[in-house]
Amino acid sequence: MKRMLKTVVAASIALTASVASLTAKADEVNVLMFGMPYTNGLQALAADFEAETGIKANIDVVGQDVFENRITLTFTGGTGDIDVVHTPVIQVQRWIQAGWLQPMTDAVAEMPGAADILAGPLGAYNVNGDQWALPFFAGVGLMSYREDVLEAAGVGVPETWAEMLEIAPKISNDEHAAIALRAVPGQGFNMFIFPMVMRAYGGSFFADYEGGDLTPAINSPENVEALKVYVELINEYGPEGAGNFNFAEVNAAAQNGQIVFAVEGTGIISQIVDPDKSRFAENTGIALPPGGPAGRSPAIGVHGMGIPASAANPDLAAKFIEWAVSAETVSKIALAQSFPDFTTASVAENPDVVAKYAAIHPDFLSTRVAALDLAIGHYRPLIPEWPALGQAIGESVNAAINGLMSPEDALEQAEQDMRDILGL
Amino acid sequence: MGNTLAARRGATYELQQGYRLMMLPAVLAVVLFAIVPLAGMFALAFSDYHLIRGTNWEFGWRNFVRMLSDKRLMNSVYVMAALSVFGVIAQVLIGSAVAVGLQKITGRWRVGRVLFLLPYAVPHVAVALIWLSLFTPTLSPINAFFDLFGVTVPAFLTSQWGAIFAIVVADTWTNFPFAMLIIMAALQGISPDLEEAAAIDGATRVRTFIHITLPLLTPALLMITLFRFIDSLKHFPMIFVMTKGGPGRSTQATNYYAYVQTFQNSNVAYGAAIAVMLFLTAALISYHVAKLNQRVTT
Repeated sequence: MKRMLKTVVAASIALTASVASLTAKADEVNVLMFGMPYTNGLQALAADFEAETGIKANIDVVGQDVFENRITLTFTGGTGDIDVVHTPVIQVQRWIQAGWLQPMTDAVAEMPGAADILAGPLGAYNVNGDQWALPFFAGVGLMSYREDVLEAAGVGVPETWAEMLEIAPKISNDEHAAIALRAVPGQGFNMFIFPMVMRAYGGSFFADYEGGDLTPAINSPENVEALKVYVELINEYGPEGAGNFNFAEVNAAAQNGQIVFAVEGTGIISQIVDPDKSRFAENTGIALPPGGPAGRSPAIGVHGMGIPASAANPDLAAKFIEWAVSAETVSKIALAQSFPDFTTASVAENPDVVAKYAAIHPDFLSTRVAALDLAIGHYRPLIPEWPALGQAIGESVNAAINGLMSPEDALEQAEQDMRDILGL
Repeated sequence: MGNTLAARRGATYELQQGYRLMMLPAVLAVVLFAIVPLAGMFALAFSDYHLIRGTNWEFGWRNFVRMLSDKRLMNSVYVMAALSVFGVIAQVLIGSAVAVGLQKITGRWRVGRVLFLLPYAVPHVAVALIWLSLFTPTLSPINAFFDLFGVTVPAFLTSQWGAIFAIVVADTWTNFPFAMLIIMAALQGISPDLEEAAAIDGATRVRTFIHITLPLLTPALLMITLFRFIDSLKHFPMIFVMTKGGPGRSTQATNYYAYVQTFQNSNVAYGAAIAVMLFLTAALISYHVAKLNQRVTT
């Protein structure tokens, strides 16, 4: 019976594999990415890669949900129809554990351009002594604020979340709310923002992550205090309906002048301060996100490109990745798209790139570097179980925001979910 | 004489063989792309396939046993039932009402029917984005309009029943034209003589509709209810785009929960078991409604 069932699973996977592998060709490289300014820019440059190398690149850019479904099918089936895959750093440990990626250590050693990649994001893909992907994006958390509103209210830029709570009632009125923050549940949504508050109050996900003690500690008093601040900011000083806001709604609210503060990733902040996109940009300043008693911990999200274990053309894939993160390619994308989150260091010396982002906002690039300096690589834990943990904690945090549970009960539930997921 | 008969039987036999051969590509496609993956899903549901914890390929009932005590699954079934029941009722009622109304419209205004079909042609993700904007107070023109009169429209997406209502509205908007189309086709099949006869006998329009038109529409109503109900078990794009399953877990319908288990929690076997449960539910409903349909039509 066991053999028969195993055969049925193998047969169904093999069928998918055989159909999908028909698409793999020896002299072409198949790239699967999900939509971001960089990946859209890369797709537009596919012809450049072919002109330079003679290799055709089929760059497929899809929505994130479609992406997840496709890679799970491709990776579990070992279909070999993807040579280069978009690899978010928060997924890399899970994919390595599942045997979905192949190490790029040797290929990277032979890439002269690899030395030009920022050490922090590069190191995030170094797991168990091997390099598993090359980064192209490092977004950090920043804060935008309406200078005119703060000036009129006679208040300064808050350095801490507690100061934000003090200022918020003074700047909230019928015209605009004080702040908008991502609130929808998900490890890439509210769990991109909430850990900034949590870490500022000295909270953490585990008893001692760096020391290797992964006992859940999400229900700690520090985390409860942080969640109360997060909930109060969103509910008392956020716009109507803020409990279901994601980055798009935060971005729109800031660009429409409906909020004073936005704490977001660089990709969104760069749009909020761009005079071409927002009519309030002229009066919008940029600062580091607020901190707290335990300091300041800006969010960080890193994306890279890796080679699936089942890739039909790993050599061509490495060649493509080397080209895709090269200073020349990244500069072209930084100029064509709203993409200040590059990880290729020398692009920051390209005068055209510097001029473009200085024109958007003079403090943008320097504040980004300051935030990158403060950000910790394991802002969201780099463990295979993180996607599941982040999803569960994000759901509890959202339940607290929308009044379905008290912050204490929500984090108690998150603690129990963490234990279940970790098998404790 | 006998020879001629044999020859004719032979011709029929050959014809039958030809038909079977012509069906072969379709049968092969169904076996390859439906039966085999379905069998794979059933086998996975009995396995211990987990992307992170590793797999020993041990088969058993553990995933189904776990489902019995999984409170999140129970919650998801409750959410799915609410979405499906309210959604299907709204779609069938609105679809039928619009169909009956459009049936009476004649002349060049008949072109207006196309307008009512448009929502059905919009991809679900786009529909969800449209309604997400309409239900987001800072973006919604509806809120802006009522703000002019000092009326605050509540934020639907931040409460459980508000979010369920919003998803039902979006789902109804895009799917009522399907009900409308089927009912329109059924209405065209009803002879106008019946209505005329009823009118001659002095029946009012309402009585004619209730006692003549409605009974004749019953098979079509049953069929669309079945189709829409089975389709509604697959709730996903509206939830993914509009609420991400929130507030909290309030709009995590069963199909969305299977996605969370498979793609976020890496528990492919348990996700497959939930999918199997959904499949069997749909199959069971189909069987019973088909039987009911047969009884009504005969």
